[in-house]
Amino acid sequence: MATVALLVGFAASPLLAGEAAGREYAIKAAFLYNMASYVTWPAAAPGGADEPFVIGVLGTDPFGAMLDEIAATKTVEGRKIVVRRFRGLADLAPCHVLFLTATEAKHLEPVLQKVGASPVLLAADTQGAATRGVHVNFFIESNKVRFEVNAEAAQRAGLRLSSRLLRLARIVEPAKGGS
Amino acid sequence: MRSHRRGPAAALCLAACCALALPIAAAEPKKGQTAAELATKLADMSLDQLMNVEVNTVYAAARHTQRVSEAPAAVTVLTAEDIRRYGYRTLADVLRSVPGFYTTYDRNYHHVGIRGFNRPGDYDSRVLVLVDGHRVNDNIYDTPAIGTQGIVDVDIIERVEVIRGPGSALYGSNALLGVVNVITKRGRDIKGAELATEGASFGTAKGRLTFGDTYGDDCEVFFSATTYDSAGRRRLYYREYDHPTTNHGIAAGCDDDQFGNLFAKLSFGEFTLQAAYVSREKGIPTGAYETRFNDDRTRTTDQRGYLDLKWQRDLSDRLSIMARAYYDYSGYKGAYAYDDGGDGAVAREHTRDQWWGAELVFTHTLDRHRITWGMEYRDNFEQAFYGRDPAVYLDERYRSRIWAAFIQDEVRILRNLTLVAGVRHDHYSTFGGSTNPRLSLIYQPFEGATLKAIYGRAFRAPNGYETYYHDGGSTQKANPSLQPEVMDTYELVLEQRLTERLRLTASAFTYKMDDIITQVVDPADGLMVFQNGCCAKAKGLEVELAGHWPSGLRGRASYSFVRAEDGGTGERLVNSPAHLAKLNLSVPVVRDKVFAGLELQYTSRRDTLAGRHADAFWLANFTLYGRGARRLARGLGAPLAQAPAGHIRPHLAARRGGPHRDRRLQLRHTRAEAG
Repeated sequence: MATVALLVGFAASPLLAGEAAGREYAIKAAFLYNMASYVTWPAAAPGGADEPFVIGVLGTDPFGAMLDEIAATKTVEGRKIVVRRFRGLADLAPCHVLFLTATEAKHLEPVLQKVGASPVLLAADTQGAATRGVHVNFFIESNKVRFEVNAEAAQRAGLRLSSRLLRLARIVEPAKGGS
Repeated sequence: MRSHRRGPAAALCLAACCALALPIAAAEPKKGQTAAELATKLADMSLDQLMNVEVNTVYAAARHTQRVSEAPAAVTVLTAEDIRRYGYRTLADVLRSVPGFYTTYDRNYHHVGIRGFNRPGDYDSRVLVLVDGHRVNDNIYDTPAIGTQGIVDVDIIERVEVIRGPGSALYGSNALLGVVNVITKRGRDIKGAELATEGASFGTAKGRLTFGDTYGDDCEVFFSATTYDSAGRRRLYYREYDHPTTNHGIAAGCDDDQFGNLFAKLSFGEFTLQAAYVSREKGIPTGAYETRFNDDRTRTTDQRGYLDLKWQRDLSDRLSIMARAYYDYSGYKGAYAYDDGGDGAVAREHTRDQWWGAELVFTHTLDRHRITWGMEYRDNFEQAFYGRDPAVYLDERYRSRIWAAFIQDEVRILRNLTLVAGVRHDHYSTFGGSTNPRLSLIYQPFEGATLKAIYGRAFRAPNGYETYYHDGGSTQKANPSLQPEVMDTYELVLEQRLTERLRLTASAFTYKMDDIITQVVDPADGLMVFQNGCCAKAKGLEVELAGHWPSGLRGRASYSFVRAEDGGTGERLVNSPAHLAKLNLSVPVVRDKVFAGLELQYTSRRDTLAGRHADAFWLANFTLYGRGARRLARGLGAPLAQAPAGHIRPHLAARRGGPHRDRRLQLRHTRAEAG
């Protein structure tokens, strides 16, 4: 039957890299890239207008080659894109956007301390991360990737988020007493 | 649409098309895009467009939100958009479009058959339906109520998750052939008020008022009320009654249907309180249960309601807890006119069923494990039966209790290999215990492909009707010593993303059901009684191709085959079509505004109880759906002016079953304030 033939076919095909979570992270990667156009970094941000735009990933990268592929083919306002991966906080170097993987986003305190008030757009996809200080946090709702924004924290980091971005986001308040 | 005898040929044709499409399409990913290429493509989209790109997730398959490809079962998810585009009116309409599902309607209740199993006289007790996780099957008849007596109006449904195969390892009784989780809309989905009116053939009118909004970050409110009234078919002809004493087989004015529906949801922080109620009255025109034919006094009233309080909290990054307490009510009243030589007398039967319960579910995430465990307690504190004709022949009350505990571990063995192992034990005060495991191995050999191998055991506890009902010794007696039915299922599922927009799901399964509770005649006294009978077994295959494109075009095509037979005699089961073929296609006529939806369903020939057969048939539905101005503003800052959005949905449906066409026009007006 057709299934059997298919199964045999699959067993025989070469294994490719990547996993089925691909689609979800492809969407998130596209969001990360796209959002750059709706955020204004202060003049003090790393690099001048002719320096590359840096997207960093802290922790085990769930994006595979997605961000690299975007970086290879796109620009942010004419600036080349560079993707940097940091295994741990110790490696952290300046970047414009920093995506925190689940393990990193769960222990935010050290990250926030290290990044401090420097103008880095912090992104994650971990429940509750936005209330605890991440600027943009992805979540899934009704089968779609949505994001929540901690506008106050972003403002403290010197980032200006456009109203268009805010309009699409769910706005969260920072946790009481948190910083 | 008229019936076509060429049915099987056309079904095979469709199946052949599917089969042909497979190798071609399956070859595509090799030269097609990787996730990285997909990401680049998506990067060209605007933020608004990205917000509408779908990932496929499901909750009910493992009691937490996960990707469909990671769920330990074959899953189909239908959304509010499908309901609108194909003009679905009941949950039965929605389910009928799922591969391997078929429905029947006896002019009182809709019944759903899954994987070749739908015995006449059953009350759909082998599928579990949940509304937002709350069990809907009642405790006397086990009925999930998928027709007009359904507890939620389909127009307030956000998503329907259909999980095929055994689910008792998580949910206990009834989850034999599948679990259906209906997820309702929330305040944030409405953000204002909505008024819908509807007129349709056979003197049918429906009205709905819905209100929903959010207040601050913590509070969300949703409320909806529906009223429905249908005169039904003025005249229905039944050959079996074609005799001068029974109005020449014509039932006139006996097909009326009316219901009222209330639904409310209030969320405050970690708490959600939900209340639902439905009451439906239906005339029975078929002369069922040897009642007087063409007597409009024969009718049933079904009521169902519940209150459900849920609390959900993340105790830490790795531990979350959900607690739920509920009260449920289910009532049935039947009036049956029978011949007494004169104008006929009316026998009356009532059942009333009340229960409360609580459940507690914990989810732990450890390195490679996600462990979900919990317990449940249910107290059926009233199961009451009453009947008189006119002398009282039945007036009894029972009480039963159930407790259960379950655990499920999802272990990531390799990066692309996951084992999901779960087991649940249910203890009933009536018959004792039942333990049901489920094991799934989920393997992702490469990009976009998932293979699942599943074994599951499921059970169904004998229900109150089967256990306690009798009619005073005239035709039927009770059997308090019934044991549960058990079912073993083995299944192999393949899910393959063919292109960014096209998905293939194929499933091959075999199941065996034992100790099936069957109504038989006891030769000792000639009375009907429910007994644990023999068994049924089936083998089958389901293939579905689903796609959606940015233009708004979307479609699904499926074919399923099943051979379901009586385990004792080897004969094909009654009401078990071997072939089902379905096509759903929604085409944008005016971009983002008007859509034409076509639904075609083929059901092959079925054997009937009487030893005859029902012909194969085609069903065609056509829906033209238009929506007015899209929401102009949504979001932050000062309230902006909101353009009223009108939904105009003329619905034209044509179906087989004699010359039977109906039309429906629904107008919906939404008024929402951005805020």
